[in-house]
Amino acid sequence: MSKSTMTRRKFLSAASQSTAMAAVSSPLFLRPDRAHAAADLSEGMIGGPTGFAGAERYQYGPDTPEGRAVEAARSMKAGGEAPARIVLGLSDGSIGQITQPFPAGAPSVKELWEQETGIELDIVGVPNGQEFTKVMQDVSTKSGGFDIYAVEWNRLGDLAETGGIVNLDEYVETYRPEWDDPERGYVTGEKGVSLLNEYRGAVYGVSLDGDFQTWNHRTDLFNDPAEQKAFAGQYGYALRPPQTWKEHDEIAAFFHRPDQGLFGSTDLRNQGWGYTNWYQRFVSMASPNQFLFADDGTALINSDAGWSATQEYIDSLAHHSPDAISWSWPEQYGNFANGGAAMTCAFSNLPKFLDNPGNEGSKVTGKIGTHLAPGREHDGKLVRRSVLWLNLSACVSAQSEHPEVAYLLLQWLGSSRIYSWMTANPGGYFDPFQLANFSDDLVRQTYHDYHMDVVRESVKRTVPTINYPGATAFHNALDENLMAALTGSMSAEQAMANTEKQWKRISRRVGEEKLVDAIKANKAAWPDLLDPIDS
Amino acid sequence: MQRSLKFEVFRYAAIAAFLALSLIPTLWMISMAFKPIAEWQSTGADLTWWPKNPTLDNFRFIFGESSSDMISALERTAGRPILASLLSAGFGTVIAMLAGTSAAYGLSRFGYGGNLPLALVQLRLFPPMAVMIPVMIMWAFLGLIDSWIGLALIYGIVTLPFAFWLMKTFFDDMPREIEDAALVEGCSRWRVFLRVTLPMMRPALASSALFIFILNWSDYLIALLLTTRDWVTIPVYMASLSSSMTGQLYGAKAALGLIAAVPPVIMGIAIQKQLVRGLTFGALKE
Amino acid sequence: MTDMTSNTPSRSQSQSAADEGAGREEKRLGFALTLPAQLLVLFIALFPILMQVYISLTDWSPLDGIPWYRAYELWIGLTNYVDLAGDPRFWSAIWRTLIVMLICVPVQFLLGLGLAILFVDEFPGRRAMYSTILVPMMVVPAVAGYMFFMLFQSGGPINGILSFLLGSSVQIAWLSDPDLALLGVIISDIWQWTPLMFLILLAGMLSVPQDQQMAAVLLGAGWWRRFFTIVLPRMKTIIVIAIAIRVIENFKVFDNFYIITGGGPGVATETISIYIYKVTQNDLIWGYVAAIALAILIVLSIVSGMAISRMRKG
Repeated sequence: MSKSTMTRRKFLSAASQSTAMAAVSSPLFLRPDRAHAAADLSEGMIGGPTGFAGAERYQYGPDTPEGRAVEAARSMKAGGEAPARIVLGLSDGSIGQITQPFPAGAPSVKELWEQETGIELDIVGVPNGQEFTKVMQDVSTKSGGFDIYAVEWNRLGDLAETGGIVNLDEYVETYRPEWDDPERGYVTGEKGVSLLNEYRGAVYGVSLDGDFQTWNHRTDLFNDPAEQKAFAGQYGYALRPPQTWKEHDEIAAFFHRPDQGLFGSTDLRNQGWGYTNWYQRFVSMASPNQFLFADDGTALINSDAGWSATQEYIDSLAHHSPDAISWSWPEQYGNFANGGAAMTCAFSNLPKFLDNPGNEGSKVTGKIGTHLAPGREHDGKLVRRSVLWLNLSACVSAQSEHPEVAYLLLQWLGSSRIYSWMTANPGGYFDPFQLANFSDDLVRQTYHDYHMDVVRESVKRTVPTINYPGATAFHNALDENLMAALTGSMSAEQAMANTEKQWKRISRRVGEEKLVDAIKANKAAWPDLLDPIDS
Repeated sequence: MQRSLKFEVFRYAAIAAFLALSLIPTLWMISMAFKPIAEWQSTGADLTWWPKNPTLDNFRFIFGESSSDMISALERTAGRPILASLLSAGFGTVIAMLAGTSAAYGLSRFGYGGNLPLALVQLRLFPPMAVMIPVMIMWAFLGLIDSWIGLALIYGIVTLPFAFWLMKTFFDDMPREIEDAALVEGCSRWRVFLRVTLPMMRPALASSALFIFILNWSDYLIALLLTTRDWVTIPVYMASLSSSMTGQLYGAKAALGLIAAVPPVIMGIAIQKQLVRGLTFGALKE
Repeated sequence: MTDMTSNTPSRSQSQSAADEGAGREEKRLGFALTLPAQLLVLFIALFPILMQVYISLTDWSPLDGIPWYRAYELWIGLTNYVDLAGDPRFWSAIWRTLIVMLICVPVQFLLGLGLAILFVDEFPGRRAMYSTILVPMMVVPAVAGYMFFMLFQSGGPINGILSFLLGSSVQIAWLSDPDLALLGVIISDIWQWTPLMFLILLAGMLSVPQDQQMAAVLLGAGWWRRFFTIVLPRMKTIIVIAIAIRVIENFKVFDNFYIITGGGPGVATETISIYIYKVTQNDLIWGYVAAIALAILIVLSIVSGMAISRMRKG
């Protein structure tokens, strides 16, 4: 990059540097003009952020979930029933969205809450990936370090069973969070609420995330006429984002050029994360879904569907980095930013971070496209399935002395106005998942228009991971056997047979009756959307 | 001793070869610590061995300054973990030295605590991972989770065997005539210990303390399990140095690694001679 | 003390009273001085052992929602121990730990011994080289772990050096292949701890009395013969200590292994400490962890007891 040419990236970053010196530490790039910023709340509003153009979209009146939450918290504070502070345990990478002001002129989410309620919000960072471990430490040692835990959504069952978190039904009834609002609420309405926030019919968590795994590809490669011509010549059909797993594997093979530092597809294969990509291949094996368990609790993985999904999963290593098995998301994101892969599957925030003019380290700014998960043809229709995994849900600790106030904070944070404002902030990992988020201008700027629609459509095709009691053990067993298959120390068939055996043991420990209930509840949230085959 | 030229050539060649291999990781870390972000991920043919555009950005970054390359500043800087490591390793050393020195003297002079030598060896023998569940529960009960005091206490216990054994060999070696002379002059035993014995032991105390400090400073596992945020130590903190923008922050990790490596290396070289004694539980004196 | 008093053939009343006073003072002081260490040992041994014995007889997990002291509600007797005996993952972790030890310790010993021989007499640059050799053992193991993680990337410097030496592009995926990953962590251990062997063995070698060696030179024995017949036998204790220290520490190895591979890929580098860590943190079956811990404690106590009594005899 020579000094005389002003590239788009340089230009934008220079522009952003000159407009806002106020928030040096936040990774902002597009800042609305401050001149237009409203200084006060719009008419009829009782709270919400101010100080930037469009702030009124995030303000609320008294008869909104946010309004009810704030007013209740205020009156509790006035009545001496609220604590001086609420302690929220949160993964490190997400903190920025609460503590960094966004956009320019706005307060931070934390400042706004403290200002409106007078209750201090103390955020305790937890290393990424260790959320559940730290929560279990707190629960089992009764250290009482937190009022609120944020954990992967599918641990809610395990945590509820420990008695470590509080049943929130009573508060939900009183304060009406309107999570299933058809205009602004969760994309799949009541179904979504039940999936993300409930365990065996009772509310235990408040979703603060949208970790629907989405697929990314490099538009510069896919739109390159020379590549298109070469691909069509080789495979007999036009190069485009893949619709089926077969196409996906062929395109990955086509672009796999390790000598040029380019890998075909870098969806994760490591322990702890990789199995989510096995899920996608497995659940599309039948129409509308290939389930993991039958209704009576029998595992269905030790079958043709399980064996061939596992075999595909192993074979796809051929178009991956040789280090695939040891790569976690930091390596994956780093490699993709460096232009090292043609496709990858990641959290929906990948374009927010890497197609970001403020990210000087990224070589793929302006070169990312996203597409729906590849699928399989069944009876003339396409079954495309993505997977919901990780997804931070916040829950109230049973050790909290003020569970009601803690819940009120969560209702406030997790409702569509505040959440849209928060998820638009590029400073952390909280991703959009509510209808209001997907249509919000600021969110769409951060996450990009091209991506937002794909994410919304992916949500409708997303299968939940296991969230029954024992989820941790079930996933560990699957994960360990898949790793053994990937490293060649076990065949695909052996891996599935082994997993089935271990799952049986876990089912017995958990209690089969409890399990069957939970499996049914989980299944109710599986999608039945089929796509036409588009040739 | 007369040795042939051939031998001399062989000697230098062998040592040079060994050093070349053994210095690669260290040199790589030093080099990485000064590389700008563009050179971290270099692979294959364009592997950058030595920073082409050396910079101090990595060091600035871990102390909270946002550099133009890394966009967002850290939510938690390395300052606090460095303080946590210093306090916990430092006070852990104090605990181990106080308890270890006095017990060693008690055994060496008065024959008390005959069970200690074996008990302490066994303490060292046992993998700490296997007792961490009860330790976590005890520490939680005492309110010591995520506090430097809690960490210092467990460090003090874990390194007590070294303090005890080291000081015991030093006391065993010390001629008793001087103490006896002081006793004849009418000093109490306690006074003799404080005013005569300990001052004479100053070099031994210093080298033992440095040795124990290095051990405490090196811990990863215990801090991983007993801290959550406020008093996370350097090695635990290092895991969080990755970002969604750029992946692993190799340069930042290397910079912090260098900071973590320097004190023990300097101290280790300073107490070279006594290292042997420390590492062999005092069985070998130099 | 006896020397002093024996100088006075006829003790007066007052003197013996003073002695008794001194004796009592010594008793009190000896007790007081050793007390803190005794308490610390008791503190760290008593509760943990009792608690582990207790919960090892139950199926208690923090997921059960009851505090540990109520674990009796989940009493299962010796089931955990029976499970342990038949747990392939436990045994393979033990076995893997032993393999790592059987490779690391001898390699470290031989390298350390070889280096020590080279350093036994003076030569220009000896001091500086000696200090440089010691550097790896003073790098914090966790930091060394992060360094080796970078070094072993397939596009990383180790493959870079191999490519340079072999003249063609080497792309070995060190950490993704079960055997190579194990080799990788073994290399990191050898790198870090060979200096320790060197340090101890050199000190041991230098403490062999010179006159013996000189006599041997006068008698015209060859250098190698002298080394094997005179120097090495006299270093027996030192060698035993050096190896024992590494065996003990190697058995507990966690930090660098965990950081480089996390015990993976799969379970390829899962040593006993990493296995226990994973069962504690991921599977959360703490009753079972207690059984593992006690089994190890018992075995270690027997082995160390036998070793010490043999050393006392020998």
